[in-house]
Amino acid sequence: MKFIVFRFNPDTDTTPRMQEYDIEVTRGMMLRDALMEVKRQDESFSFRHSCGEGVCGSDGVNANGTNVLGCITQVADLKEPITIRPLPGRPVVRDLVVDMSQFYQQYRAVKPYLIRKDPLPEQEILQSPEDRDKLDGLYECIMCGCCSTACPSFWWNPDKFHGPQALLQSWRFLADSRDQATEERLDALEGPYKLFRCHTIMNCVEVCPKHLNPTKAIGHIKELMLKHAI
Amino acid sequence: MSYKASGLRAWVVQRITAIYIGLMFVYLLGKFMFAAPASAAEFQGWATGPVVSVALLLLVAAVLVHAWVGVRDILIDYVWATALRVTLLSLLALFLIACGFWAAQVLIVAQIA
Repeated sequence: MKFIVFRFNPDTDTTPRMQEYDIEVTRGMMLRDALMEVKRQDESFSFRHSCGEGVCGSDGVNANGTNVLGCITQVADLKEPITIRPLPGRPVVRDLVVDMSQFYQQYRAVKPYLIRKDPLPEQEILQSPEDRDKLDGLYECIMCGCCSTACPSFWWNPDKFHGPQALLQSWRFLADSRDQATEERLDALEGPYKLFRCHTIMNCVEVCPKHLNPTKAIGHIKELMLKHAI
Repeated sequence: MSYKASGLRAWVVQRITAIYIGLMFVYLLGKFMFAAPASAAEFQGWATGPVVSVALLLLVAAVLVHAWVGVRDILIDYVWATALRVTLLSLLALFLIACGFWAAQVLIVAQIA
C-alpha cells in the first residue's frame, strides 16, 4: 500500500517534502504499525508514539486530511494512497513531530484542578453518584490534541483562544460539585477570545478519538455564564 | 466591566437579534407571498401603520447590531494587525450607522408623505 508521508528536518531542509513509501499491509494493521514500518525502511523518519492502545495520546497525526490517533486507526479504513501529515497549525519540530507548547499553555490557563475554599476535610470530599455522572464524557480526555489542531479558530488564534481541549477541561471542573471556584473560572473566560472564538464548527467533535464532545461542553459554559450574568 | 471587549454580551445579542430577524423573515415572507399589497399606496399604508413601522425599525436595528457582531467576529478571527483592525471596525461602524439613518429616513419620510 502506498503511503505519502510529510518529511521535514529543519536542520537540513529549507522546505518540507512529501515522500512515498510502499508498505506491506498485514491483517488488522493499525496506522501506528504502518508508521513503524516506515521507520524500519527509513531510519531518518520521526514520529511520536508510546502506549499503542489509545491511552497515552502521543500519536495524533493527520491521515488523509483528518486528525486521528495512529494506534487505534485501522489502515484498512483509510483510502489509498494514504497521505500522512503532522497535526495542522502546529510548528513542525521534525517530520510528524510538532511543538504542542501553546496547546499545553491553554490547558494550564484553565486551571485544570479542583479549587477548594473550605478547609480540606480529613477524608475524601464526598460526591453523590448523580454529581459524579456529570463528569462522564469530560474526564476521559487523553490530550492527544486532535481536536484543538482541527479547530480553525485555534489555527487563527492559538495564543488567545483556549481551544476545544482546554475548554472541555474547563467545563470538567465547572461541572464538578467539589470545585468552589465557579465565579473565578467564568470571569477568566470573559472577553471575545478565550471562549467566544468558538463558532460551533464542530471539527473537534468529529475527530475526537475518545468520542467526547467539546462543543457541547462549550455550550454548557456559555449557558452557565449567562445564568451568572442575569 | 474590565478593559476587555465583550464576549458574553456580544454572543447573547447575536442570538437574540437572530431570533427576531428569523421571526420577521417568516412574517415578511408570508406577507408578501400570500397577502402582498396591491399598490404602492397600500404598501405605504401597511409600512407606516403604528405596529408595522415600529417592527420594521426594530428589524433594521436588529440587522445592524447582528451585522456588527458577526463582522466583528470575522475581523477578530482574520485581521491581526491592530491598526488595520481598528480602521476596518471604524469603517464598518460608520457604514452601519449610515445604513441605520438611511432606513430611518426612508420610514420617516414615508410616514409624513
